[in-house]
Amino acid sequence: MPSRRRVAITGLGLVTPLGNSVEETWRALLEGRSAIAPISGFDPSGFPVRIAAEVKNFSYAPPPPYRKLLKYAARHVRFALAAATQAIEDCGQSPRPDNATRWGCVAGSGMMANNFDDLVRFQRCFAANGRLATRLLFDPAAGMPDPIAYARNQPNAGVALMAQRFGIRGYTGAVHTACASGGQAIGRGLRLIRRGSADMVLAGGFDSMVNPIGLAAFSLLGALSDCNDTPSRASRPFDRTRNGFVLGEGAGFMVLEEWESARQRGARIYAELAGDGNSLSSYRITDSHPSGDGPIQAMREALRDANAQPDEVGYINAHGTSTIMNDRSECAAVNAVFGLHARRVQVSSTKSLMGHLIAGAGAVEAVICALAIHHSTLPFSANLEHPDPQCDLNFVRDRPVQCRLGLAMSNSFGFGGSNNSLVFRNPEDVRQ
Amino acid sequence: MNEPIVITATEAICASGTSVAQIHRELLAGHTAFTPLSQWDSSAWPVPLAGGVPNIDGAGLFDDRRLLKSIQRLRRTDLLGLYAAARAVANSGIPACSAALDESARIQFNERTAVYTGCGGVGYYYQYDFLPALAAADGDLRRFADKLGATVNPTWLLQSLPNNVLCYLGIAFGFKGANTCITNHGTGGAQAIVEAYYALRAGEADRALAAGHDCPIEPEIILNLYRLGLLTTDAIRPFDAASSGLIVGEGAAAMVLETRSAAAARGARVRGEVLGAGFSTEAAGVLSTGASGDGMAAAIELALGEAGVAPAEIALIVAHGNGTAASDRSEAAAIRRVFGRDMPVVTSFKWAFGDTIAAAGAIDAALALECLHAETVPGIATLRQPDPGCAELNLSASPTRLRGNLALVLSRGFGVMNCALVIKAPRDGHS
Repeated sequence: MPSRRRVAITGLGLVTPLGNSVEETWRALLEGRSAIAPISGFDPSGFPVRIAAEVKNFSYAPPPPYRKLLKYAARHVRFALAAATQAIEDCGQSPRPDNATRWGCVAGSGMMANNFDDLVRFQRCFAANGRLATRLLFDPAAGMPDPIAYARNQPNAGVALMAQRFGIRGYTGAVHTACASGGQAIGRGLRLIRRGSADMVLAGGFDSMVNPIGLAAFSLLGALSDCNDTPSRASRPFDRTRNGFVLGEGAGFMVLEEWESARQRGARIYAELAGDGNSLSSYRITDSHPSGDGPIQAMREALRDANAQPDEVGYINAHGTSTIMNDRSECAAVNAVFGLHARRVQVSSTKSLMGHLIAGAGAVEAVICALAIHHSTLPFSANLEHPDPQCDLNFVRDRPVQCRLGLAMSNSFGFGGSNNSLVFRNPEDVRQ
Repeated sequence: MNEPIVITATEAICASGTSVAQIHRELLAGHTAFTPLSQWDSSAWPVPLAGGVPNIDGAGLFDDRRLLKSIQRLRRTDLLGLYAAARAVANSGIPACSAALDESARIQFNERTAVYTGCGGVGYYYQYDFLPALAAADGDLRRFADKLGATVNPTWLLQSLPNNVLCYLGIAFGFKGANTCITNHGTGGAQAIVEAYYALRAGEADRALAAGHDCPIEPEIILNLYRLGLLTTDAIRPFDAASSGLIVGEGAAAMVLETRSAAAARGARVRGEVLGAGFSTEAAGVLSTGASGDGMAAAIELALGEAGVAPAEIALIVAHGNGTAASDRSEAAAIRRVFGRDMPVVTSFKWAFGDTIAAAGAIDAALALECLHAETVPGIATLRQPDPGCAELNLSASPTRLRGNLALVLSRGFGVMNCALVIKAPRDGHS
């Protein structure tokens, strides 16, 4: 039987609340600088939650031939284009006419339809009293809706624009499984290369729900921390005083590449993307079972897929949202999967500093796992002073840890019950 | 050698009917299923028709009353997806098989059952729930925030998740395997099948439910498609010289795919087989829907290559053919380039029930299999005079007898994403 194709991670890109590049984000994580602050992008004063982790000082300017793309790119898509540009530059390769069909692009993308400004314009023109006056939609006097806004708000606009910007002509896909989207997209990328659908894949996730609709939607659910007066301490995954998550925004992308061709061209390989595991919790729309059922299967499948044993894993970048239910269910799952090794494997949640990037989270955290392997350094969980007794894992607290990793794991679990785990392997440990 | 991936059940719903067999019959009879837009006041609208599905409320789909209550709060697109998927599962005999297993075997069975969906993402109209608060606020976000509690359902976000069909299929049937939800416009439904097929080939699961569902009959979508010049006020006439655009329809379809050994182990009847898939993008921007045909030709060649099938072996092509001239011509050019003199019967089903966008690939695949079994393919009943650029396709306005058991199903979406799927109908119940 022919051996399975391996997948190398050769390019990384990040736009996060902690910084608009991989270097800035990584440095802020290691320094423990929180990106969570009062919301500045709009007036949040009427909302019960007034804090978030916003991307700051961001601008994206494509080279001149691609300037016209900008009008089709909403804020979160610009994050994606910027992070993807970094990843492609970092890997030193970009699609050429002779290999463009061998490049794919898969991205976890957010669930907002109209972005907020477009929705407000729409309301003013066609729903002055709060009810849509459908008769007006075709009335030129009411001011026709803008077809460019329609394009901007397509669910696959991000993927379509990345394909256009970089000239990708192979398999493309937008995936959405709520907070598991980014992790699942990177897992799809792994599988595209393994099955031969592509040799190089731009894979990642992007989102921004830091807008009045996103804040309203999560506030109404009661899922967010309302520690408005202590924003830098609001996200405290696994701490017994935690009271919800903090919204973040941004994008993470990586270039995945067939291992042998990456080796032959002498590419820098951050890590092997070794395993992808997905499961459905099939329990409730918002939670996994307290036993960890659901996440357990995703972690086991990712390890099996990587041909790895649980005790080889040195670090888990937890989903760790800082909600009571998620953190307990995830810890129960880690205990079930890792057994005695659950006392030893080091765990942290980087959401403690950058909040929850929703459809982007899994992708950003996958990039962080690749960096942890590459730099032999584990980022820590901030604000973890008194761990919940039901969250009894070996947490990286207070400061980063220097530690050579064999395997790292990233977990992402979404509303709707989709779970994703990814396993990353130190490239030095890859034996052909 | 890869293990064959077989199809053991299908179901579909659209304006033409509530089962694959009924839709097939309606198309054979040459019936179009469009009705006047009635969900809102459209008296001033230049677009009078759409392919709506009457009376879908999810009743009768599941025994569990609490589950039924939750799904009746969902969006229409999700109800359509759950309808097709739940009926496909029932048709497959999986619930009886799983019920006969002891507990540990059943857990294993469910963990080895994957679910893939393709859908339109979040509808614009979901956000209309916020219009009353926005109107009251008149630009003041403090007032907007104050009004939310009284005007927006606190579970708005949960009702709006694009992955709700995944979620509720898991809860309804206990499936816990690999999964994803693809929100890739017109290719999403086909990609759900493609991802299920590859997941089974890679050993990620033993069986998979794949569903595409969409509900593009909403004011903003119709308005924007009209302004982009994509909608017709006449009829959908795919590949016709007088083609003038598409009509939107809503619908869903689902398939149960299994490895051949998993299907054999539970004694399931094999209805079909997925032989190969191909995908390409033309990198031409968000709203582009078909330029040269190079992308579609590449997708077709990839799918035929993976299936190990020569063009001459294909009996039927179900084209994307949505009645928009640029897309139809470039698709015809792609088909001509690959098939040349070996042209099979070419048809498209959208003339009857509309372009169901993210559901289209799944509906077309389910109907293509039905055509192979019935050895009869509906014609394009609205076809009068083929467009000169499409003339070499083997088109017909009336039903055609099929010889052969292989079909190629083509899908297309915004961003000029092209997807091709080769499926086979075993003649004797074995593949």
